[in-house]
Amino acid sequence: MTFQEIILSLHQFWKSHDCILTQPYDTEKGAGTFNPTTFLRAIGPEPWRAAYLEPCRRPTDGRYGDNPNRLQHYFQYQVVLKPAPADSQDIYLQSLAHLGLDPYQHDIQFLQDDWESPTLGAWGLGWEVRLDGMEITQFTYFQEVGSLEMNPVTVELTYGLERIAMYLQEVDNVYDLLWTENVRYGELYHESEVQWSIYNFETAGVDWLQTSFDGFEKECLHLLEHPRGLVLPAYDCCMKCSHFFNVLDARGAISVAQRTGYIGRVRNLARKCAQAYYDQREHMGFPLIHPKAMSTRSRTRKKR
Amino acid sequence: MAPPKKLRTKGQVSSSRKSTVTSLPLLLEIGTEEIPTTFLPQVLQDLAALGHQLLSECRLTYHQIRTVGTSRRLGLLVDGVQLQQPSLTQEVVGPPKSAAFDASGVPTKAAQGFAKSQGVSVDQLTIQETPKGLYLAVKKHERGKSAKQVLTLSLPVYLSKLIFPKAMRWNVTQVKFARPIRWIVVLLGNQVIKIEFAGITSGGVTWGHRFYRIKRKKTGQPVSLSNAANYEAVMKKFGVLVDPHERRAAITAQIAKLAKSAKGQIDPIHRDELIEEAVWGVEYPHAIMGTFPQEFLALPKAVLISSMKEHQGFFSLIGKDGKLLSKFVSVTNTPEGNTALMTKGNERVLSARLKDAQYFFQEDRKQTLQNRVSALDGVMFHHKLGTMRQKVERVRSLAGWMAELLDRQDLMDVCERAALLSKADLTTGMVGEFPSLQGTMGEVYAGHDGEAQEVCQAIGDQYLPRFPDDRLPRSLPGMVLACADRCDSIASFFSVGMVPSGSEDPLGLRRAAYGLVRILNETSLQLDMVQVFDPLRERLDLHSRTITDIIGFILDRLRFYGRTTMGLRDDVMEAVIRVRPKNKADLGDLLAQMQALQGIVSQSDFELLMVGFKRVHRIVEKESWNQTDVIPERFQHESEQRLFQVLDKAHQDVTNCILSQEYAGALQSLLTFNAPTDEFFAAILVNDPEPHIRENRLSLLTAIDRLFLTLADFSCIQSAGAEGG
Repeated sequence: MTFQEIILSLHQFWKSHDCILTQPYDTEKGAGTFNPTTFLRAIGPEPWRAAYLEPCRRPTDGRYGDNPNRLQHYFQYQVVLKPAPADSQDIYLQSLAHLGLDPYQHDIQFLQDDWESPTLGAWGLGWEVRLDGMEITQFTYFQEVGSLEMNPVTVELTYGLERIAMYLQEVDNVYDLLWTENVRYGELYHESEVQWSIYNFETAGVDWLQTSFDGFEKECLHLLEHPRGLVLPAYDCCMKCSHFFNVLDARGAISVAQRTGYIGRVRNLARKCAQAYYDQREHMGFPLIHPKAMSTRSRTRKKR
Repeated sequence: MAPPKKLRTKGQVSSSRKSTVTSLPLLLEIGTEEIPTTFLPQVLQDLAALGHQLLSECRLTYHQIRTVGTSRRLGLLVDGVQLQQPSLTQEVVGPPKSAAFDASGVPTKAAQGFAKSQGVSVDQLTIQETPKGLYLAVKKHERGKSAKQVLTLSLPVYLSKLIFPKAMRWNVTQVKFARPIRWIVVLLGNQVIKIEFAGITSGGVTWGHRFYRIKRKKTGQPVSLSNAANYEAVMKKFGVLVDPHERRAAITAQIAKLAKSAKGQIDPIHRDELIEEAVWGVEYPHAIMGTFPQEFLALPKAVLISSMKEHQGFFSLIGKDGKLLSKFVSVTNTPEGNTALMTKGNERVLSARLKDAQYFFQEDRKQTLQNRVSALDGVMFHHKLGTMRQKVERVRSLAGWMAELLDRQDLMDVCERAALLSKADLTTGMVGEFPSLQGTMGEVYAGHDGEAQEVCQAIGDQYLPRFPDDRLPRSLPGMVLACADRCDSIASFFSVGMVPSGSEDPLGLRRAAYGLVRILNETSLQLDMVQVFDPLRERLDLHSRTITDIIGFILDRLRFYGRTTMGLRDDVMEAVIRVRPKNKADLGDLLAQMQALQGIVSQSDFELLMVGFKRVHRIVEKESWNQTDVIPERFQHESEQRLFQVLDKAHQDVTNCILSQEYAGALQSLLTFNAPTDEFFAAILVNDPEPHIRENRLSLLTAIDRLFLTLADFSCIQSAGAEGG
């Protein structure tokens, strides 16, 4: 199964489980959780089921294209289900079977994983799912997002696509993965890893990044004050801040002492955005609670 | 397991003859998504306790209670639960008779209200004689309910009492549990008891192993349980060994067999810990063995073991020579998994990890530890206390000072050098990846840099002991560094008011103090804890008051250590600590004194000594006498003379013994007071009408009292009768 077939297969699977196939979000982010499709949609009582591919950036994980297992830019496949269905583990295991991973033949274990994102003011409990000893998915029942308590609870599944693909294709080096029958992952992304590693570790303008961080922080707060309630653009600014912080971190420009300060500033924005989003949806009457398209299916699911 | 099962079967058979059955087995199974393995031993213990509490509070007797379980199910098994609750007769006392009836004998509002509240009519009330007079009362007879009724009502209440270190919500009920509950089974014999908890209605249906199918049926099939009695047998048929002991036995046998096939044995270093992990991690253990490329054996052993153990939960294997084999054992949770496939997968994961480690090992060695020290400016020790670099400077000054206190100037350079380099490995890639290898990697890299062997060892041993019964540093510089690091941490946090309170120890300061006590008691290292902190006075702006607090904190750990590892009595330890000079705290010495005191306290003539001492002490205290100048010429009676001679001799002996730290000898010489003290009090009255004589006697007693108090505050010692407590 090629890399793109894996994506297609997951799309197909989750489409058949009533997920909206949303798309990646066009702002840099460290994890699929940052996508408004997860972060904002998890907030409030409105039911939500979505699946999407998310390119993620973790500047500190760059290895100049030298390490067979680490990338500063990689892909997550993200699924969010609200309310969390009673059979979410079963559905997840079926999705693995759909990828050709027979759970009877392999050793699949759900190992404790207490997930926390200090920048998003979010935490949840769940597992890292291991396939024959390799972590392939993070499985989390959100308890808080943007410091708001989840009610109902959203379950988030994050597949590590490269790892699953390496397993399926029996490849030891991520760059050897077949994206299509004829094109390798390395052909698409190796050069990008090298250039971005140089940028993140050596070249990124520290002053400019710091100024940008400050600017976007200010902009975010400013937008939240706007009479029309510009929550969505404000949240984009929050994501930008998070990303700049990550680059500054990779650049070695943040001392341990400053770290908590920066994280606290991003969290402050995330909290404010979360609360503003909730207020706004409430004001709109939580429109997704009774949409025609979603209601019948989600109701039958709830009854299980 | 076998006998109770038979017993239960008998019960079941006889259940057809309704009249004779008075008890049945009870099964409660809470089916969950995977609960963290570390929670399980405690929660199963709690569940057993709750079961016991429930049944006794509900007045239901039973034969035996036990809990079984895996990360996917918590099981409560009770044998012989009484089917009928006994009836209960109670007398409830109401208002006094005088207030219950008016002058004409008509019931008042008080009487009517009482009757109403008890659900009876007024004429059902009786008069009861109590010590306070006549009162209205009602005899209430509560008919015993069936076990089924009782359990239906009470079980959910008790279930909600189960708590976990961390819990979550998952559905509309907002109930909190370690992980979501997906089913509940409650069976009394073959009867389903319907309860509702966390939005789930109980039934007689459980689920077998997630990945086990009988006759190729679909995944995750529900399993109907017909009777509580055959729960374990049925679960086994569906791929679940519910009894942790059975899983442990299976795992132990399987891994030993695999190791043997590889002509090796399971590395004992983390063996038990890993077995425990596996026991709770699987419902059906299936151990497999894999291999990693030989080239990785060139990595430091600690790195290999950490890669296997911490990241993957793999057992490492050693050969007959004790050296690591390029093999590992992993316990999978698959009754019918494809061994070849799983092995290959596990091998690939481990190899990738080791490759990473190999990369770090190569990269890290390109820079010496010495060169890394300045990078510690960028590593925070604690936001209130500055950087690691600053900590290293403090530890270095402490280590040097300790060498001086020990009169080992020859070791000063080694101690200071080791301290300087001690935290440099925190900046290496390897420690970044494997934090538990801090210190260990420092030793490896220091060796590579060509540092002296003593320096390397000290760096490697600085965190010892890591846990209560861990090994101690091998060499004196290692001990010094370990103590210096701990003293610095304790003093630093105390200096900014971060003092452990309650049972919490987030900064590990109690553990640090405990390590100090161990090192200072179990090795040749002898340090005075009061002096030790001198170099930090200025650096941390450490006040004498804070040092007193620190000493108190350390002595608290010393008591814990004395109690748990040396079997010392609290009163004995208190007696020694009370007379400790405030400007000195030599931990090993204090423990030696305590041990000596406990030795004499249990001697038969000690009781007598105490009678005498307490008499002396009482008089001295009562009179608040504080002079000790005895004038022999004023003695009136030979018993005074004799006592004085004994005092003189004992004083010399005690002083000599203390100098040579022979505390048992010092205490033993006190026993010479027994007879003369007795004689003294028998022969004379201290309160002589003549003030000179009286004062002289008081001074004699005060001198004796003082001598006793140099060794211990004997007034703390509880009499022999209380010894057991």
